[in-house]
Amino acid sequence: MKKRTLLNVLLAATLTTLWSGELRAQMPNDAIYMPKGTVCIGTMYTHSSWNQYWENTLKRENLNIGTHTTQSVMVMPAIGITDRFNVILSLPYVWTKTSAGNLMGQKGIQDLGAWLKVKAVDVKGFSINGLAGLMIPLGNYVPDFLPMSIGLQCRVVSGRILANYTHPKTGIYVTAHGTYMWRSNINVDRDAYQADDRVYNTNEVKVPNAYDMGARIGILKQKWQTEIWAERNSCVNGDNIRRNDMPFPTNNMQATMVGWYGKFQPKALGVNARVGYVTNGLNMGQSTSYMVGVLYQFGVKKS
Amino acid sequence: MKKFLNILKYSGLAFAMVVGMAACDKTLEEPQRVGYSPANVDDKAGSWKTYLLTSSEEINVPTPTSVTSPEYVAELAALKGLSNTLTKEQQEAVVYWGAGAVYRWNEIARELAARYNIPPASNADGKYPVPDAANPLADPKFPFATPPYTARALAYLSVAQYDALVSAWNYKYKYKRAAPSKVDATLRVALPVSALPSYPSEDAVVAAASVTILKAMFPGEVPYLEAKMKEHLDARQWAGMNVQSDLTAGTALGGAVAAKVMGRARTDGMSAANNQALTAGMIEAAKSRGIKEPWLSQEVPIRPPMLPNYGAVQTWNFDKATLAQIRPAIPYVVGSAEWQKDFDELSKINKSQTREQARIANYWADGAGSYTPPGHWHRAAANAAHEARFSEVRMARTLALLGTAEMDAGIACWDAKFYYYTPRPQQFGLKTSVGLPNFPSYTSGHSTFSAAAATVLGYIFPEQAEKFKAQADEASVSRIYGLIHFRVDCEMGLKHGNVIGTYAIARGKADGSGL
Repeated sequence: MKKRTLLNVLLAATLTTLWSGELRAQMPNDAIYMPKGTVCIGTMYTHSSWNQYWENTLKRENLNIGTHTTQSVMVMPAIGITDRFNVILSLPYVWTKTSAGNLMGQKGIQDLGAWLKVKAVDVKGFSINGLAGLMIPLGNYVPDFLPMSIGLQCRVVSGRILANYTHPKTGIYVTAHGTYMWRSNINVDRDAYQADDRVYNTNEVKVPNAYDMGARIGILKQKWQTEIWAERNSCVNGDNIRRNDMPFPTNNMQATMVGWYGKFQPKALGVNARVGYVTNGLNMGQSTSYMVGVLYQFGVKKS
Repeated sequence: MKKFLNILKYSGLAFAMVVGMAACDKTLEEPQRVGYSPANVDDKAGSWKTYLLTSSEEINVPTPTSVTSPEYVAELAALKGLSNTLTKEQQEAVVYWGAGAVYRWNEIARELAARYNIPPASNADGKYPVPDAANPLADPKFPFATPPYTARALAYLSVAQYDALVSAWNYKYKYKRAAPSKVDATLRVALPVSALPSYPSEDAVVAAASVTILKAMFPGEVPYLEAKMKEHLDARQWAGMNVQSDLTAGTALGGAVAAKVMGRARTDGMSAANNQALTAGMIEAAKSRGIKEPWLSQEVPIRPPMLPNYGAVQTWNFDKATLAQIRPAIPYVVGSAEWQKDFDELSKINKSQTREQARIANYWADGAGSYTPPGHWHRAAANAAHEARFSEVRMARTLALLGTAEMDAGIACWDAKFYYYTPRPQQFGLKTSVGLPNFPSYTSGHSTFSAAAATVLGYIFPEQAEKFKAQADEASVSRIYGLIHFRVDCEMGLKHGNVIGTYAIARGKADGSGL
């Protein structure tokens, strides 16, 4: 079992940049597979904060929020069912706070994630991978107390295509992916709310579907990996935050992010880290985030 | 084994996609309200006591043409042409408006309140620009539909609808013009037809009265309101319910009554409600009454309090001497043992709010972007009246009794708030899970509005009185769970609201309806 099997599946996870810091908390976004019978457990801490946000297209600060911070600790096992079929699970505990104002921070277990990852094509360093993801909210957190809520309570089903080329000798790689996310309606505590410039007389809220696209370039060696990446996360529709109002789960949240990811895993035990920065967005905070994690890999296969 | 794995992985992917498509069904289920024939047409309502009209004949409605006249026959023929075949959009409009004229216009008003309920943002100088009625769509939009503003808008709306309908009922039974479908049985109608005479049209009366009030209350929505009114009147013809002269007479009556009602609105003191120059004196007066630590805005920059002089606005169901007489007693003073006990209760919730407490706080929050607590109770009342199949005039009476009680509750509560000028829990370091209102704490507006509403609705729907009271109690305690009120604010607000509601009941018992 080669270590290069990695785990970095763990990835770039935690794009904890949406309002709540949830949503695509982690997405397998590489073409690396755990070998059959091998498990890598990543435990990652993420810190994401912003002091400006886009209210619709207006970029602004809010003196009654100051700096908004989302933190999370996530456990993420990646399991090699076969060399070309992996299952990746994730479960974060998330907490939020602000540096100013009166809004109460929220905390709790967020959503259980699961990805099935299949290498469909594998030719001379080039691969095409299909991924299917499922997110199920586990915690009974409040979804519409934005921006303090730790998640949106959506069930999410994702379909992703990921293409990769890795130069066999140097380990230099490029990866690109695209994802579509079907997001379920949610229920809120109130029985009427406003969205799309009207009042809905129900506790059920339509949360827009979303997509993402990502590109990464890096070097993958047996003991280490380094990469730079760019991602675009966006709802496919939704309404905008009204002037001086708070965000709501129906909002069309969008963000473009750039960042770096690296991993060092000389043996079974390793570490990884990631930084990210939102360069542009809509109905979201302009967050800067960093993540640090510990990786531990082991075999479960009976020999 | 390998084959099994292949099946597993591909079926897993396929399954996920199928679930994805299923999750894609985003249809929302909202309760649909449809038309009904009223349980009682209230044929004597023309003699019920009006709020502002001196009598139900103050505004004249001309004698209609006879149903055998050539004019009427021509109108009926035109009506037949309009109602014979309907497009899908026309059918939908018929069903929508068929749920009830008062019902729909109350709902429209609540929706406008929600859309306009956003506090102005501070500008670069650290000041909060005041919404300008002459420029309603600029930033900040006019109005900022706060709970007091919304309570008042809904009160005038309901009073105008009620006075106009009482007058309409008088003329309906004076002239006794039968519904078009009773004159000509071959006319196709799309809604239930009651025994109610059709001239002047109650729908036109309500539409015109409502639009007149709402244009004044939401001056940026004139085109929207006019389009709604046009659709409402058209829908009455598409449904085969009214000939043109029914509508014309109703529109004139409703508009004239509402114009008179707006006369009161313009002079009720609202224009001075945001007089911030008074607050320094109010703070000194509160200190002289024993308040040690007056309220301070917790916003950055400091925001002037919401409508500090709203307590001086003219009340409906009691006079100013009574307002002072029923004002709640001074609350616990900061630092006293009783105050400390209330504060300790909040501190505990601040540390470990339960999910159920959060749910209750959220359900009743009715904060920015909502139709506010008065809107919440109007919705409850309109739904109860709809379920009881009230006639238009009885529904208007219900909402006028409620609406005036809610406005009185707002005035009396604001009077108490600025009389005592007490601090919010956030002035002592607590957070909130619902957003912090920017005005003094004692008494709780939610508690006062809710108790007044539950008291009035308990009188109108006695079999549901317990339910409404339990809801008011929950709305009240929700402000403790949301951490923005001390218990004494809520308990005294409930008592105060209950007393305020009884004045509306006294009015209702004396209005000649026998209800």
